[in-house]
Formats: sequence, structure tokens, C-alpha cells
Amino acid sequence: MSEGVSGEETKGAASPIKPNHAELVKDGKNSLTLQCERCGCVVLRPGSAKFVQKELFLPHMKKKAEGTDPNGETLSDCWLVDDMYTFDNVGFTKNVGTSKYLICADCEIGPIGWHDVNIKNEFYVALDRVKHV
Amino acid sequence: MAKTYDYLFKLLLIGDSGVGKTCVLFRFSEDAFNSTFISTIGIDFKIRTIELDGKKIKLQIWDTAGQERFRTITTAYYRGAMGIMLVYDITNQKSFENIRNWIRNIEEHASQDVEKMVLGNKCDMNDRRQVSEDKGKQLAIEYGIKFMETSAKNSINVENAFFTLARDIKAKMDRKLESSSPSGKSGGQKLVKEEKPSDKRRWRCVIL
Repeated sequence: MSEGVSGEETKGAASPIKPNHAELVKDGKNSLTLQCERCGCVVLRPGSAKFVQKELFLPHMKKKAEGTDPNGETLSDCWLVDDMYTFDNVGFTKNVGTSKYLICADCEIGPIGWHDVNIKNEFYVALDRVKHV
Repeated sequence: MAKTYDYLFKLLLIGDSGVGKTCVLFRFSEDAFNSTFISTIGIDFKIRTIELDGKKIKLQIWDTAGQERFRTITTAYYRGAMGIMLVYDITNQKSFENIRNWIRNIEEHASQDVEKMVLGNKCDMNDRRQVSEDKGKQLAIEYGIKFMETSAKNSINVENAFFTLARDIKAKMDRKLESSSPSGKSGGQKLVKEEKPSDKRRWRCVIL
């Protein structure tokens, strides 16, 4: 099993924000509601998370085409929440090392995000792992 | 950042292995996504948001994480718990009999005023029933706690059960606040609601 997060916050042009992500950010926060991509369960309300870039290595949610890394992918556009109770609905897995993966509370698809148990006030949701409605 | 909720309740699910705490109560099983990655690691807890009497309530719900196999649950697990769902399987007599042991365990380890509720789960499996609904009711009356039969498979009463437990905890808390406040007005320790009223979409799933 791959261990949670590989890198630190990306700097400069190493990983520019994806064009389709830029429009989801308003005043540095999420302009829309974050929902589970599969079942529509509400994860976060508008304006409740901060946009940050941090490289997260997350296992795949779905089967991927051949030729891609079977273990997962690195995503860098994230929503950051500083208090777990900001989430409307979310599930936490048990620890994998010092990582906990975030999943949909209803249908349990995931990982949609990541948390390091040693950093109490940082909870990350990958923009590519949720839908914005 | 200001709190976006009025109440925060920590709830526990307790009962024998196999009564459906994880697979049934802890999620909406019919709709659950069978991810090997997630099911291998296992789920620790979930956060759910419900609305009661116009108040936003955050529920943090914990499963026993397999500790029940040792027939006892430690004090650490009970710490801070405000509500406990005692779950048995209506097709398993033993799991029903063990509810008494679980109640004893709670009395030993949990806070005195923790709110409890008994759930007879899997009521969709009537053909294999070993415990009558009356038996469940009697037990609950004996201990002075509420009772419901549930089926997450058919979404019967599960959401209702969590709302009921949350409502009872809230009522207890409001009473406490009222009696501790000389003016008779509550609100002393209540958290301030900040968020705008959300869309009125019903909580779309059974709890978890």
C-alpha cells in the first residue's frame, strides 16, 4: 500500500492550477458546493475551504486504463479545511502510517482526500475527486 | 474560524460482531461502493450534519472497530460519548442476549448520563427472525431506553433512529443549560450559528 502524501506544497510554476479549476475559486475559497462525484452527498458548503496546491498521492477511486500507475496518482489542486467539523458529511479511514484517507460518508467512494494525524488542523480534498455544483 | 454548527455530538455504535453495525448502520449499504482499497483499511468514523428544530447538529459517529470481539470495550472508546446505539441482529438470539452485557459494560465505563437506544437490526429478514419485536420492546422498557427495529437494507428507521437519539441528547443538553443558567435562558455554552441556511435538500441517505 502506498503511503499517503509524497511532497510538500508545490511552488511557482511547477504545477500551475488547472484551467477548469481556476473558475471554482473565489477569493481563495470554494465558490460552489463540493459533492460526492458518485452519489451527490454534500461534502463541503461554498466558502468553507481554502484553495491550496499541495502534492497528494492518492490511490485511484476507479479502475484506470493500462499504462498508468496502478497504485494511484499525484494530484496537486486541493481544498484545505482547518477543522474536521467544517465538513457536512465525510468519512475517515483508519490510519495508514500517519495518514487517514477521506471518503464519501454515504457511498464510501474514495479516497477523495487526505489528512495527516500529526497535523491536527489540515484536511485536504482533491479537486479532481469531487464534483462542484 | 467561527463554528458553522450549533451542537456537536459524539455517538458510538455498540453490539456483537456481525449485527450490521459497520455494513448496515454505518452506511447506506445498498448504495455503498465496494472499493477494495477503502474496505481493506477500514473506516474509523464519519461526520454527518443534520438539522433539528432549525439547529445544525454535527454527529461524529464511531464504530467499535472490532474491539467488540474481545467482549469488552475500553474506557478510552467511551470517552466523550454522548449517545450510544446498542445494536443487535433480530436473526441472532445471542446478539440480543448480549445487549444486557453491553449495557453493563456501558454502565461501568461510559459517562453516567450517556443517552442510549436499542436497535433490532435486519428487520427485513423476517423469515429468519429469532427475536420478536415485543422482546426488544420489553428489554428497552426494563432499562428505560428507546427501541426501534431497523433495516438499513430497506432504509427502514435508520435515519429516524439517529434523529431520535440526537433529539434526546439535545433535549438533555438544553435542560442542563437551562438549569445551570440563573436567568433560565439557555445559550451559555451553545455555539453560535454562523452559516446561512443551507439548501433544504433532505439528508439524502440513511445515516452513513
